[in-house]
Formats: sequence, structure tokens, C-alpha cells
Amino acid sequence: MIEVKHISKRFRTPLVPEGRFAGVRALFSRKYKEKVAVDDISFCIGQGEFVGYIGPNGAGKSTTIKMLTGILHPSTGEVAIGGRSPHRDRRHVVRGLGVVFGQRTQLWWDLPTRDSYDILAAMYKLRERDKARKLAEMNDLLGLGEFMDTPVRKLSLGQRMRADLAAALLHDPAILFLDEPTIGLDVIAKKNIRGFLKTINRELGKTILLTTHDMDDIEELCQRVMVINHGRLAYDGSIPDLRSRIGLPTVIRVSFREPLPERLETDGAPFSIAGRNGLELTLQCNRQDIPAMDVLRHVSQWGEIADVHMEEPAFEEIIHKVY
Amino acid sequence: MTMLRLYLLLFRASVRSRMQYKLNFLLSSGLAAFINLMEFLLIAIILQRFGDIKGWSLYEIGYLYSVLLLSRAIYRILASDVHHIEKYLVGGELDQLLTRPIPVLLALMTQNVTILLGEVIQGTVLLVLCFQGLLAAGQIGWLAIPQTALVILAGSVILFAIGLLSATAGFWLTRVRDLQNITEDAARNAAQYPLVLYPGWLRMILLTLVPVGFANYVPALYILRGEYGPWLLLVSTAAAVLLLWVSFRFWRLGLSRYQSAGS
Amino acid sequence: MLFAVLARKAYARNLQYRGSHLLNTIASSLFGFVYVSIWIGVGDNRTLGEYGVDGMVSYVAFNQACLWLTVFLTNGLGLETAVRSGQVSLDLMRPVHLFYVLMSREWGQLLYQLLYKVVPIYLLYVLALGIRMPERPVTWLWTILALALASYLSICIQYLIGVCALWTTESRWLVWVNIALSQLLSGFLIPLEWLPGWLQTVSRATFYPFLQYMPTRIYLEMEGPNVLAGTIGWCLVMTVLCLGITRLVRRKVEVQGG
Repeated sequence: MIEVKHISKRFRTPLVPEGRFAGVRALFSRKYKEKVAVDDISFCIGQGEFVGYIGPNGAGKSTTIKMLTGILHPSTGEVAIGGRSPHRDRRHVVRGLGVVFGQRTQLWWDLPTRDSYDILAAMYKLRERDKARKLAEMNDLLGLGEFMDTPVRKLSLGQRMRADLAAALLHDPAILFLDEPTIGLDVIAKKNIRGFLKTINRELGKTILLTTHDMDDIEELCQRVMVINHGRLAYDGSIPDLRSRIGLPTVIRVSFREPLPERLETDGAPFSIAGRNGLELTLQCNRQDIPAMDVLRHVSQWGEIADVHMEEPAFEEIIHKVY
Repeated sequence: MTMLRLYLLLFRASVRSRMQYKLNFLLSSGLAAFINLMEFLLIAIILQRFGDIKGWSLYEIGYLYSVLLLSRAIYRILASDVHHIEKYLVGGELDQLLTRPIPVLLALMTQNVTILLGEVIQGTVLLVLCFQGLLAAGQIGWLAIPQTALVILAGSVILFAIGLLSATAGFWLTRVRDLQNITEDAARNAAQYPLVLYPGWLRMILLTLVPVGFANYVPALYILRGEYGPWLLLVSTAAAVLLLWVSFRFWRLGLSRYQSAGS
Repeated sequence: MLFAVLARKAYARNLQYRGSHLLNTIASSLFGFVYVSIWIGVGDNRTLGEYGVDGMVSYVAFNQACLWLTVFLTNGLGLETAVRSGQVSLDLMRPVHLFYVLMSREWGQLLYQLLYKVVPIYLLYVLALGIRMPERPVTWLWTILALALASYLSICIQYLIGVCALWTTESRWLVWVNIALSQLLSGFLIPLEWLPGWLQTVSRATFYPFLQYMPTRIYLEMEGPNVLAGTIGWCLVMTVLCLGITRLVRRKVEVQGG
């Protein structure tokens, strides 16, 4: 579906001269500073995949998305969407894409929501029948009915995002690019949007590329993550793989019924004691090396266990490690 | 043909959005008319007092003034946000237009359409008054009316092309408002009056570099004063077509440079 | 000192845009050039009264150069934007008078415009059009004084315009009305004595002649420093108005929360 081969993007920004009449000289200055925003990235995304694309601000995420959607052209390398280049064939390619930018809407601000769909349908040359069918389908999934006749500027952020998603899907694109679709939403609205995205991916088979800063989005939705940093692809694979590769420890907190001996021996077992506070022990282990049950069996030699509490490494911390 | 239908659809949608703020619309229309009226009043007062400027009468200058006003109104109504491209470049909204399966220019032309009612009314009233005066004096015949209609249309194409060329410069400069100040505002202000007033270098600029002179002055030489010949009308229509072609080419170049250089 | 700090910041903020302002200055001088050409055209076969063609060229050119001190100030002193963003309640909370803060800022803006717009345009006209210079050095003093007072008057006007935003949220249209009126009534393109009688009466009843007509007449040595009395009078009236209206604003913001 999406094939990216060795794309790079370099920006030239004019250097602002210093000193007297700097502003005037800037008009004629020909000195530039080159910045590499995206550096030799390649990947393939197959039909029906749900891929998270993450990285810190300024890492090159949105530049990549812009090259995939034909907004920008890569300095070197090739992009093919369904076999066509969005660079040479922009208008044809974007017909098969749905794009949502969480920060701004693609709807007509002052018009009732319904009107935006009419306009978009004309832009994408949809037949009346197809439009009605698609809208009915979207209405089932997103509950558009309650605000169809409200001007977009009066919608709440959650409603607006639903309306925007419906707009991006109206022309039934096979591929969806989502740029922070849950930004600024409350917990319930986020949950609704995630449920919707899951449905259109699993049941309608849409291919989705999602960028976000919300790690819960990624963890809940994506089968695959790509991490970009400093313009380079730092990781491309599944979430469990990412977890184990970084190897952040699982933390186990154990409280005992009776005081523990002074010296505690691990006897070479692959876990460590991170803290000790009265009757409570904090242990760390990597579950690739030793199952949690084995750790517990081992420490039960030291005394009777009263309670156990286990913490998986937070996804967010994993990501920090990759950056 | 589909492009035209799409254009009309988007245009209507845009107008409908605008009409959500009716009071604002009426107020700004009235105001625009008032401001333009003040501007013309100044020149009218001078002419009232001194009779003519280098042989150009009040009616003739009113003709130049209103023809240009109407041409500009047509250009700005039909291609509104071309003039406001800076906003799109600075705020990154242009990227959003690029994700749509329609030409970017078409999208830009139909954003925030403003019906410049004040300019249209004022321009029409003034033009009608000047026509009456000139017809009564026997200076022009009825044929001048269709000729003037042609001139206004060609003029709007010329102003559009100049506007598009300036807007396209934004792909390189980003901040383009001050350039437009010269190529659109200052140049139009100059072309409201007969070009004979100006020294050679300025007249030259207004006929080559920023050729607004073809929008009203050149054809008026024939229509009002019978100078040179009817081929002057042909010249300004040809200038319009040529400029339009050049501006489209330049726009395409600018857009591809935007996409390959980014900002 | 608060005044100096505010003025300096406003001045410095502008410096970074010098490049694009250069184009703006070119555009502005072109506008003036068109007006000068009109008068040269009118004077083609006429004498143009006490001014003469030469005098009218100087009159119009000097007016154009001074626009950036007497008409083109920050729209409503930026109050409209402050009202929209709600910033204005914060500004009113500060232990300094709102008018004083905005005025100080505007002086910095005006200093910038003087150095980067007014002086370049003026020098360009001196070189290109050979406009008249005062013969007596003391005329410079009176001219500068007249322009400084006119700037202050204009600051007051913009303040009053800006304050209207508190009641209407939109005050941009008032800015335009002010520009249009000042074009017609300030003697910007046509000396007052050549306006039709009724318009002259209207004009002389307003402060507009003191923005352009009087300073330029002083510069051309057609008027003595005694006309400054009128400017000072208007400055006092406007100051009282500005201070009075600020009290209303304060009450309105306190009662309705902005």
C-alpha cells in the first residue's frame, strides 16, 4: 500500500546576517543553513495495518507525513502510494487518502456540518447514493446526527473530531493519515475515537498511519510502531518487541508477614533488590530472563509473603529510552 | 467544465459562510464605499476648482477611476484569498489545501469569498455618471458601453494576474504583504489617474513591470479620446491573456518550489 | 523609568522587520509621488495661488512623509486585540494608568517610524523633488514641536478608537473612518483654503487640520508658531477625554468582567 524508499528531506533556511542594516542585507543575502529533517527513511506498510508513528517534536514526523500526502516532495528517494507517486500524481493519489490534522479542521468553519460533507462529496466526485450510504454508515459509528445542522465553529472539540474523521472517510479512502487525532480531548472522547479507529481498521480494513504524543493511543491501537528521532528511523516493529529490546525491568513489590533476615542472597538468580523498607522489598527483573513466579518462589524462602504488587514498565518510559 | 462547477459550488459555500455575519457584511460594505468616496472626492474637489489636469476632465478621470475600481472588485471577489496568501504560508494552512484532490489555486480562490458590494455600487454609480456626462457632451457614442464592459473584464484579468504573480512570490519570500503594497496598492493608486501626469520612468513601470496601465489608461485613450485606434482594445486584451498565461506558469513554478523546498 | 522601557521595547520589536518595512517605505513614497504628480499636472498652466507649483509639491510631499507620525499609528493602540484576547483586564490590573502604558509604547513605535520611514521618505523627496527647506533655522524647532504635538493628538485619537472595542469588540472600521476623514479634512492632499466652503467649516471645527495642514504650513514658513496654541488646546481636550473614558472602561470591566 505504502512504499517508502530511502527518502530524505533537506530544508534550506536563509542565514540572518548580524549587525548594521541586517534587515536590509537579509533581502539580498544568499547564505543558507541546511537542515536535514528526514534522513534516509525506508518502510513498507501493508493493507490493513495500523501503524503508530512516534517521535519527539521536531523529529521529522510531520515532514514524513507531508511527503506521503504530496504536500512536500522528497529531496531524494521515492514514495509510492498504491503504486503511484504523490509527488508526480498528487491529485490522483490524494483521492485515495483520508487526512486528519488534529490541530485544525478541514470543515467549513461557519457552515452547518452537513454542508461540509456536500462540498467534499462534490470535490471527490461522489455520487449522491454513495454519499448518503457513507454518511449513514458514519452516523452509526460516530453519531453525527446530533450536530449535523450545527455550524462547525459551535461544535465541541470531541464533536469536531468526530465530524472531521467522518469527512476524511467520506470518499472511502483505503488509507488514513491521522495527525494527533486525540489531542486536547477528554478521557471519554478519547475512548470513543479509539473505539472508532479500531472498528474501521479491523472491520473495514482501512490502513492507518497514526502520529501522536499519547502513548495510550499507540498501545491500544497499533500492531506496529515506528519511532523516528533526529530524522532517522530508530525503531520499526511490534510493541512487545520494542519492550523487550529496551529491556526496562518489571518491578515487583513484595510485603512479608515477619521481619526479614539481615542478609538476602539471590544465589545468582537474574533479579535484583532495588529497595528495602521494613517489611517491604522492591525487586527488579527482566521477564525475558526469569518468569515472575520464579522470583516469588525464590523470595518466599526469606519469609511468608503477605502481598504482591507488580508493575509493567510504562510504555512511555520505553519510548524515552529509544529517544 | 467540472472545474467550473466545482468552483461555483465552493464559491457559493464560501459566500454562505460569510453571510452568517450579515451586519458585519453590510457595515464593511458601507464603509468601503465611504472610504472610496472620500478618496474620489479629493480628486473631484481639485478638478472642480481647476477644471482639468493636463487636459483630462473630471468625467474622464472618473471613468479611469471607476473602471479600475470595478475591475479590482471583480478580481477580489472571484479570487479572494489569492491576495491573502501570506496567512496560508505563515500559518501552514496551505498544506491542508494540498491534501484535497483539486488544484490549490482553485481552493485558494474560493476561500473566504467577500462580496465587495460597496466597491461594486460605488464603481457602477460613478461610471454611469461619467457615461452620462461624456455622452451628453458627445465625446463618446453608445458603442463605448460594450467596449467598456470588455475593458473592465480584461482589466480584472490583468489585476488578477498581477495579484497572482505577487502572491506566488510568497513561495520564496513568505512575507509578501509589503510587496503587494507596491505591486497592487501603490500601482493601482497610480493608475487611477491619467498616466500622462507621471514622469517617463514611472509611466514605463506602469506599462511593463506592473502593467496596470493596460487595465484602464491605454484603452481609455481610444474609447474616450479616439487616439491611436481601436487596436488599443486588442492590445489590452492581449496583454491580459499574456499576463494570465505568465502568471499561471509562475504559480506552478512557485508551488513546485514550495513542495520541494518547504519552509 | 517605565516610559523609557516601554518605548524602547516597542522600538526594538520593529527593528527585526526592517527588511520588509523597506518595501513598505518604497510603496508609501510611491503613493506620495502620485499625489505630487497630480499637482504638477494641475499646475501645468496655472500658478496655484500663494503656494506656486513648487510650494504645492513641497506641501504634498511633506504631508506624505509625515503620515507615519500623524495618521498611521498602531490601530487603536492595539486595544482591539487586547480586548479580544482578554488581555485588557490584565492591563487594567497593573498599578499604572492604561493610557500611560499604551502611550509610552506608541512613542517607541513612532520613533521607529520616524527613523525608518519618515526621514527616508523625506530625504528621498528632498533629493528627487527638491522640496523646499526652511530658511530660518528656528522653523525646524517649530516644525518638530508641531509634529510632536500632532503625534500626541493622534495617539489620543487612536486610544479613543481602541477603547470603543470594549463596547463593540470591533473597532477596525473606526480606524478606517478616521483615515478617510483625515484624508479629506486634514488638508493632506488639498490645502484647506481650496476646499469647498462647507467642508472648510467642518474641517476647521475638528482637530484634523492640526495633524497635517498646520505642521506643514509651519514647515513652509507660511504660518508662525502662534497656531501651536490651537494644537495645544486640542491636546488638552483630548487628554481629558482619554482620562475620563478610562474611568468608564475601568468601571465596565469591573462590573462585567471585561
